[in-house]
Amino acid sequence: MGQGWGPSPWSVQRRLSPLVPALAAALLAPTAAWAHADLHPGGGFVAGFLHPISGLDHLVAMVAVGLWGAVLGPPALWLLPLAFPPVMALGGLLALLGVPLPGVEVGIALSGLVMGLMVLFDLRPPLWFAALIVATFAVFHGHAHGAELPAGANALLYSLAFVIATGLLHLVGILLGEARRWPGGRALVRLAGAGVALVGLWFLVRALG
Amino acid sequence: MSGSDPTAMLWSPLGSLPLAHLVPTGLGPWGDGMARLVLQPLDLLLLVALVLLAVQSGRPWSDRLALVLPLSWLVGGLAGLGVGVELPLALPCTAIVTAVGVLVTLGPGLRLGERLCERLLLGGSAALPLLFGLVAGSSLAGHGGALPALLGEAVAIAVVTTLLLMALAPPHPRWLALGLRVVGSWIAASGLLMLGWLSRHPL
Repeated sequence: MGQGWGPSPWSVQRRLSPLVPALAAALLAPTAAWAHADLHPGGGFVAGFLHPISGLDHLVAMVAVGLWGAVLGPPALWLLPLAFPPVMALGGLLALLGVPLPGVEVGIALSGLVMGLMVLFDLRPPLWFAALIVATFAVFHGHAHGAELPAGANALLYSLAFVIATGLLHLVGILLGEARRWPGGRALVRLAGAGVALVGLWFLVRALG
Repeated sequence: MSGSDPTAMLWSPLGSLPLAHLVPTGLGPWGDGMARLVLQPLDLLLLVALVLLAVQSGRPWSDRLALVLPLSWLVGGLAGLGVGVELPLALPCTAIVTAVGVLVTLGPGLRLGERLCERLLLGGSAALPLLFGLVAGSSLAGHGGALPALLGEAVAIAVVTTLLLMALAPPHPRWLALGLRVVGSWIAASGLLMLGWLSRHPL
């Protein structure tokens, strides 16, 4: 390893290697092809990627999942973002199968409010209870998204992009939550929790009003 | 196809029939086939899920995948070209991708016994790409330039499989092992949404 001489070329290669698939994917996606892809809201990767980002109620709730996971620490840190996408997709599947779910908008608004309050007050329930809360809200989010899944030609790209964007929002929340390690970071995280709760409250008032 | 040389039709770079299942890239059927892997990503999702499943189970097995996966997909694709009509298997194929994604999400904690696990993986990694190749080949059959498009996608599959296996070769640091499971959960979620979509909008 060359002690004292920094990382060996091998270890540098090992660190860089996860970038290789991303590079390959970028190279394999010819720009000419995108000109013909469905870029309108009816389908396609871009539309799917933008969908979770375009709604503030969804956006803050997705960030809050990661944020709360970071506050809870391992294993919740990775378990909540791991479980959220499939459970959310299950909710989407229910919507697409025509199974009704009452109070979807209220459930979505409550997700922001509840998870925001959890972060604000640094509440740490048992893992199973935290997972239950997140999974319940995931079904509401998924149901709303599933009902909006367009009848475009490229539904799989849309779904994939949509799920990736959701996962990246979790990651944003986790990174924000990791600020707790730094001086003043706890206050910042609690402030973020308060912001999420306020947005959730606003949407709850709108949903009930 | 009657009245014309089928071989010439398959190879024709400017075939008279449009490739309904290919997005025109301007790079000819070969390039269109390569782009198909990314733009109609069911095969890509299966590939990624199988690679992740293999690397989760250890290096000796994952090395074999670089050969088995593209070859079996190509064999299936060539057989699919001979079928002549598009096989309506989108729903089962999506269900398979979802199931493999779920297995990746559950991770190496799901122990079935090492030998059984290896045999299942070996069988699955040969049979599933064969099936997916068959479906892809059948969807291209009858179109001009189908064979180069199929070969283009097979090459793309081989390249992506090899690169992924190189990049993700075990042993993994803990964060990467978790990352693999997260990607598995994304694949499972996309598959579930697609299953719902297919049930609402049957192809």
